[in-house]
Amino acid sequence: MKKFLKIILQYYLKVITKIVLVVHNPAIIAVAGSVNKSFVRDEIKNILLAKGKKVRANPKNFNTEIGLPLAILNIESGYDSYRRWLPVIKSAFLAIFQKNFPEYLVLELGVSQKGDMKYLLSIVKPQVAIVTEITQRYIESFSGMNRLVGEYVYLAKKMKKDSLIILNWDNERVRSLKKYTKARVLYFGSDNSKCDGEIQEVKKVINGIQVKMRYRNKEKEVLIKRFGAHHAASALIGWMVENELDGL
Amino acid sequence: MFERTKNINLSVIKQIELRAAKYPDVISLAQGVPNFDTPECIKRRVELALKRGVVAKYSLSPGISELRELIETKLAQENMFYDWEKEILITVGSIEGITATILALTNPGDEIIIPEPTYTSYREVIVLAGCTPVFVPLDEEKGWAFDLEKFKSAITSKTKAIFYCNPNNPTGTIYSKEQLMGLAQLAEQHNLYLISDEVYKDFLFDDKQKIFSLAEVPELRKRVIRLFSFSKSYAMTGWRVGYLHSDESVVKEILKVHDCLVTCAPVISQYAAMGALEMGDKDLIEMNDEYHKRRDLICRHLDELSHVFSYVRPESAYFVFPKILLDLDKIKYSDSEHRNSLSWQFTLWILKETQVALVPGVAFGPNGENHIRMSFGRSEKDINEAFGRLKKLFIHK
Repeated sequence: MKKFLKIILQYYLKVITKIVLVVHNPAIIAVAGSVNKSFVRDEIKNILLAKGKKVRANPKNFNTEIGLPLAILNIESGYDSYRRWLPVIKSAFLAIFQKNFPEYLVLELGVSQKGDMKYLLSIVKPQVAIVTEITQRYIESFSGMNRLVGEYVYLAKKMKKDSLIILNWDNERVRSLKKYTKARVLYFGSDNSKCDGEIQEVKKVINGIQVKMRYRNKEKEVLIKRFGAHHAASALIGWMVENELDGL
Repeated sequence: MFERTKNINLSVIKQIELRAAKYPDVISLAQGVPNFDTPECIKRRVELALKRGVVAKYSLSPGISELRELIETKLAQENMFYDWEKEILITVGSIEGITATILALTNPGDEIIIPEPTYTSYREVIVLAGCTPVFVPLDEEKGWAFDLEKFKSAITSKTKAIFYCNPNNPTGTIYSKEQLMGLAQLAEQHNLYLISDEVYKDFLFDDKQKIFSLAEVPELRKRVIRLFSFSKSYAMTGWRVGYLHSDESVVKEILKVHDCLVTCAPVISQYAAMGALEMGDKDLIEMNDEYHKRRDLICRHLDELSHVFSYVRPESAYFVFPKILLDLDKIKYSDSEHRNSLSWQFTLWILKETQVALVPGVAFGPNGENHIRMSFGRSEKDINEAFGRLKKLFIHK
């Protein structure tokens, strides 16, 4: 019974979310990959906010078949309580008439088993997609690496001709997604000759990392008050998206 | 034979629990175990992981990357900035983290300074590593605060680290930023590590917002190893999962020890930890409110026994550490093994007379003698029942 109700709820939320997205027509930036999605998501969100844009991003655990619609509709989950889901169902419908719906949605797409990406992309059609890394994470749920990669191949194939996909050149599996997509492709990574966005240098300092980066023919140096190469990559991806905003 | 273990002891807390188990109607305020069950949101996360078949195999030795990412984000919210990939390590409770840290950082013969009274097992781990614990007494008159001059006097050429618990078990003290920075200065002057066990950092009473951690100070990154466990904050003592973080140069070495001790933390528990971080905030707040009420309750009870106990009101954790005001000759109990210890005699006498289990203060360090530890991790009902029995015993003493 519980499983049946969950399926009904899932379908209901999916339909409502699709209606909401048609009505409000936000630009959707999707972040996918095995790791570091949340850092890229937050970086893009902060850049858009700094530009005075209205943005909504999904929280970490709201990136799957029920979580993603709830995040888009900006509604809390009812978790395990039937009673708490009743107001959720009502609020979901009312979300169609939401005032001040954000101009941008920055959505982390979580893939942990076969078919996840297909389901998520049946709800959202991103104008921009970023694929950070593809690693062995979640491989237990797939019968091998190829099946896992297949989820991201599906994403690449589904991106429209006038959309943009930003791929990690340094990860061979991510880089190979180019051959599956009609979308415009930009690469980020550490290879000067191949990457549109390049991380030239990352230097650890006492309170963070000093990063030199390039996008096309522009260069800049930033101090990021965090540690880890993934923050350099997030900053670069954020910069690239910022430069491509006019195309959205 | 057994050269390594002959100088370490089974924890006194466990000894008391074993003794208490022999009594038919015991109420234990001894072991520091929350009486709450693990929150539903955490169990759901685990159920999902079980259904997906992702818990059977080893994770990477440092831990599941998603969990470490979550921890990096959480730390950043608390003004601590660490790289999930190289600077955060998921451990089997904080005690495994502590053991791996001490084994990585020290050589046999090194000394480690511990402010005391403090958690009983620290001494055993230090001795197990072939090192010497050097106890520096906290000042009860100043609310169990540090006396930095005493720390200074305790440092020798063999000192490798200062290891403290903040908020402190058993006193419930929160060390101030000023005190901690004083320790940091000493550590810089003498090239010492600072090992900070912060398992009770979410227990915040009396409108306190957040404890200060030396892990927030960028200049101290390579000196500070900070540890946390999900056991206390999220009622997950049985799950055995925690984490530590420090600069990558330090974590790299601790990881080697961690790997050979345990390979990885239990994967099912790592998923539980993810559930705690993703969805456990509401439960954490509710449990904290409950502990706050119980702190006030136990203090009211102690106030009614002011002829037996004096105490420093705990600011955090779920322990109170009252001083015993009775003399040894008033205690009608004789245990030949601990004949000269007031806290042991008192504890065993209370256990026999009232079937209430407490922990003798000497278990927490020499300065803990003449004290006992009471946990208010138990329910209000248990606390009230325990004190009902104590009052019956003491009301005419």
